[in-house]
Amino acid sequence: MSSRVIIITGTSRGIGLGLASHYLARGDVVCGCSRAPAAELEHERYSHFRLDVADEAAVVSMVRTVMRRHGRIDALVNNAGIAAMNHALISPASVARAIFETNFHGTFLFSREVGKIMVRQRHGRIVNLSTVATPLQLEGESLYAASKAAVESFTRIMARELGSSGVTVNAVGPTPIPTDLVRNVAEEKIAALLARQAIRRLGRIDDVANVVDFFLSPGSGFVTGQVLYLGGVSS
Amino acid sequence: MNPSQASSHAIVQGMIVDLLPPGSDATTRIFGPGGALDSLGLVNLLADLEFRLGERFHREVVLASERAMSRTYSPFRDVAALTAFVVELLEES
Repeated sequence: MSSRVIIITGTSRGIGLGLASHYLARGDVVCGCSRAPAAELEHERYSHFRLDVADEAAVVSMVRTVMRRHGRIDALVNNAGIAAMNHALISPASVARAIFETNFHGTFLFSREVGKIMVRQRHGRIVNLSTVATPLQLEGESLYAASKAAVESFTRIMARELGSSGVTVNAVGPTPIPTDLVRNVAEEKIAALLARQAIRRLGRIDDVANVVDFFLSPGSGFVTGQVLYLGGVSS
Repeated sequence: MNPSQASSHAIVQGMIVDLLPPGSDATTRIFGPGGALDSLGLVNLLADLEFRLGERFHREVVLASERAMSRTYSPFRDVAALTAFVVELLEES
């Protein structure tokens, strides 16, 4: 298989960094972005864009630059995300806005801009990152889970809108993975969450990559609008 | 309309007509009752047009903007309206 051109958001750390490394190792061209430099990713097939995924002009510029450089975009993985674990009654409005800006608006902006290109190509794969916090309705994660619920709804509807264009849109919902995003979550909260999974262990980046591989594979052209949770969590 | 605007206007209008079904011209209604395109066709037109504008004018224009959506009369209704809207955006960017 020839190199695919894949955009992955949030590649400076965590799942995004892991996925970028995974696809570079497979021979793909990866274009990543984050607000911070991607210090750990130095590769001839990797290019990094410093931007905020909620900045419309910056997203438009990145997507069109990637298109000009490579002539196509085969896949988009909307990974960039932030979380804040707090009871709803003590959550600042600014935090709610920031979570939705990054998790939902960022996903929307990248999907809209890359989607335009994929519709013209009559081919493309979009994979969005959700979370098991949404189906499990975890207390203390109302804002994060709500933002990902918006991502899931967006995934299902955009899949229908693009269904006739050869473009699929799916989502993967990881369990907690030892990344910066969950590092500050209390151990007892993690334990309580794991107790609700069918397979009671923390996730690994490889678990996420396996699902993304499936959604990106040529044989998955008839799979769209799906949200796949890891760890045996169901909606 | 100065010579530069007239030139941009002609180029943009030509691009739009070129992206519409054969037989279209500067008077063609694009979207809405009697329009040449359905909603998916309009999406494709705008995506193609943004791409061509970027190549021709080196400007990163987003056509489906708040400005477009907030207008009383849609700039996507016909070739003349869309041409005028695009030229307006190009002059500002």
